[in-house]
Amino acid sequence: MRALPPLILAIILSACRLPNPYSAPSKPQPAPPGGGAPTLPAPPPEQLPPPVERQPEPEAVPSPQPPRSYELGAAARSLVDQAHAQSAAGNFPVAAGSIERALRIEPNNPLLWIELGQVRLAESNYEQGENLGRKALSLATGDPKTQSSAWRLIAYALQGRGRGPEAREAQARADELATH
Amino acid sequence: MATSRRARRLRRILLIAAIIAIVADGLFILYLDRIVTPQFEGRRWTLPAQVFAQPLELYAGLPMPADALEQELVRLHYTPVDNLARPGTYHRRGSRIDIATRRVQFAEEVREAGTVSVLTGGGSIQRLLDSGGADVPLFRLDPLLIGSIFPIHGEDRIVVSPAEVPSLLPAALKVVEDRKFDRHHGVDPEAIARAAWVNLRSGSIEQGGSTLTQQLVRSYFLDDRQTLWRKIKEALMAIILEARFDKADLMNAYINEIYLGQDGERAIHGFGLASRFYFGKPLDELDLHEIALLVAVVRGPSYYDPRLHADRARARRDLVLRQLAHFEAITEQQAQDAVALPLGVTTRVTSGYYPAYLDFVRRTLRRDYHEEDLTEAGLKVYTSLDPRVQATGEQALNDELTRLDRLRKTKDGVQLEGAIVVTAPQSGDVIAVIGGRQVGFDGFNRALDARRSIGSLAKPMVYLAALETGRYNAATIVLDEPIEVKLARGKVWKPENFTQETYGPVPLTHALADSLNLATVHVGLDVGVKNIADTFVRLGLEQRPDPNPALILGSLDLAPLEVAQIFNSLANGGFRTPLRAVRIVIGADGTALKAFPLQITPVADSATVYQLNRMLTKVTQRGTGRAVYSRLSPDIVVAGKTGTSSEFRDSWFAGFTGSHLAVVWVGYDDNRPTGLTGAAGALSIWSNLMRRLPITSWDAPLPESLRETWIEYDTGLETRPTCSEDVVSIAVPSETVLPAKPGCIEGAFSDFATRAKQWLKGIIH
Repeated sequence: MRALPPLILAIILSACRLPNPYSAPSKPQPAPPGGGAPTLPAPPPEQLPPPVERQPEPEAVPSPQPPRSYELGAAARSLVDQAHAQSAAGNFPVAAGSIERALRIEPNNPLLWIELGQVRLAESNYEQGENLGRKALSLATGDPKTQSSAWRLIAYALQGRGRGPEAREAQARADELATH
Repeated sequence: MATSRRARRLRRILLIAAIIAIVADGLFILYLDRIVTPQFEGRRWTLPAQVFAQPLELYAGLPMPADALEQELVRLHYTPVDNLARPGTYHRRGSRIDIATRRVQFAEEVREAGTVSVLTGGGSIQRLLDSGGADVPLFRLDPLLIGSIFPIHGEDRIVVSPAEVPSLLPAALKVVEDRKFDRHHGVDPEAIARAAWVNLRSGSIEQGGSTLTQQLVRSYFLDDRQTLWRKIKEALMAIILEARFDKADLMNAYINEIYLGQDGERAIHGFGLASRFYFGKPLDELDLHEIALLVAVVRGPSYYDPRLHADRARARRDLVLRQLAHFEAITEQQAQDAVALPLGVTTRVTSGYYPAYLDFVRRTLRRDYHEEDLTEAGLKVYTSLDPRVQATGEQALNDELTRLDRLRKTKDGVQLEGAIVVTAPQSGDVIAVIGGRQVGFDGFNRALDARRSIGSLAKPMVYLAALETGRYNAATIVLDEPIEVKLARGKVWKPENFTQETYGPVPLTHALADSLNLATVHVGLDVGVKNIADTFVRLGLEQRPDPNPALILGSLDLAPLEVAQIFNSLANGGFRTPLRAVRIVIGADGTALKAFPLQITPVADSATVYQLNRMLTKVTQRGTGRAVYSRLSPDIVVAGKTGTSSEFRDSWFAGFTGSHLAVVWVGYDDNRPTGLTGAAGALSIWSNLMRRLPITSWDAPLPESLRETWIEYDTGLETRPTCSEDVVSIAVPSETVLPAKPGCIEGAFSDFATRAKQWLKGIIH
């Protein structure tokens, strides 16, 4: 019963919103948004509607962070393409350098941290691979697809470090998020 | 008979002596040849490592108006022209700038000279076009050469190949220094005689009779003693060089060897470096009047120093120009045009020499390299320095310290000092280091070496450790009440608040924002001083602080760089990344020798750090750091903490936005009280700096395990902005149930519940 409320909330949330193509990262304001719907405390179970197909009125459901999907800007994209070519040629340090250049342009884009993690995996630097995956995860709030990629990176890295059970757990989370 | 026998004997002795002399002389020449030739053949000038700033990346969308871009080009000594000609020039038409770029050696590639067009509009770059008019996604400008790591004896140089030397330079050198260079065999007896005659008549040394080859020998092999023996050796060596090497080789050696100026401890050798030193440009971009000035300086770099003795330098430059015209190296018209031009030397400020940053670079490299590798092996070092931020920081520090000095004059005229470290939090790149007011002075680097008491800068570590226990959140009520702490050896510690008042029960976020000492000591003792000491280490402090209770209030001496490392882990959302100045080192042959890649380690749960950072934004919105908004727009979200050590000896501010972290320290070198709080001193520099940088708000995404809500600032009760007067927003773990202000949360909540019930009924019926 304890786990029920968030679960129900999650189902409602996923049912009532179509994924937005992209929404700018929500800026924490000096004071939280006065007009918008604030986060409400997790309601006690008995007051919650059961999971059903019909939708409540949109404004009744707190939805501070609609799903979004991260994308790369043109400049970062061209550097990532460059890095892929450099990686394919086995030149991993130079590829990592290209991703770092992109990170200077978009330091908060989790996709770039995942890209850098993948270069580290290719170099068999599993520890950095995992850490970079976790960094990406901390930035990928609200983007299940990117979160899934980050968990997949973490899973490979953990596998490389010989931590099988944790790797499988991470992989499971990646798979679950991929279905969103 | 006896006479003739004596005469014969004398002749024989003379003959033997002559033979011995010839043999000895021959042997001596052979000996000199053995020294000179191999040394000159395998000549490698000791090449100090060159240090470069981070190149500016241009791309569509970059906030950069045309004026700012033009400033960048000027900083890189690009010349404005009407028609794009040679590399190193640009042409601006309103919002469009066409650039003829130089050949550039980047860390991983060489880019040949080319052209790029930048279209700006609305304060940003709109498009980049290549020479064919096709869109380019991004384009790097040249990395600014910011200095070099030269050896103790101070010889610094940039070696140029004959292809990089404008043809006018050797021509001018010959006209002015050695007109028979192409014909003589190393010495020019006629010139020596003429010089001797002139000098004899004037009673002083006005004319040197040395050939270029002799000057080269003197500079390359010999010391500066003016003895006859040295003169003979010099002449012999010059003759040997002439016999062994061709003229073009000797001319190129001369161009790279000769001494042309002094910059503190740094001796400027060769025309390649002299061109950079005086004009900020590569040698092949110099115009006639600039080449003439360098040739003028050869005769006496300190006497004709164009920065110190502009009139003398100009007179000699014009003499050089007239001589060039007289000997038909240039036309009369060219000479007249050039004479009309100013000297054109850069001021020291724009010549781009950052000792404090270079010091940090040098220390980084000394861990991996021998001193000789750095000063001799021709390494290229690519750093994270952002020259714009560095220059802005130097300006901000000087402006504010000058203002503060006027407000509080000391009796003995001692001035305030300060230091700044600026980083890009996500990458750990150190983008500026300012070690004191005298930025050109290669002295005490306060950013790295001034270990000073951090005071309240310690509090974020106390509150992070508290949040990590799970027993505290931003709304938790803590007691700001008097406390006595028993220390070792029977001592008792009785901390006080800054205001010497007590504030009773306050929410945690309030205690941090107002930097309440008593509340913090209560929290710190509850959390455990050992945990707090460990938190410092986890966030990046190399040496574990002594876990005594006074650590809670910051009785810990740290350098600004160490503080920056710790706060960077907070700004980076709980990930530690070693602060780095050096990104990569490239060998003389262009191969990568040593990289310092971005490395990150999770050191604190990112959701916990988020809660703390939200509390740190209250420091600037509500607390001791409020003064930040006297300079910054209220739309910019800043997280930070002020620090004031006991008796106002140190004034600190450590703060970050989404794009920049800066740590500022202000104090006196002799540690006397300043009378300045962190807000009055360091914070004014911090905000002066940030105001002039393209900063973004701190806007980390809310972790999914947290929720945002409001509390009353004084009571900590959960509320809504519509329901209470004085509210602040906080982030707490989603499952946290906060004591609510009666009639506020219930209202909003029951409204939701009622609707849900009605909706349920609708389904059931």
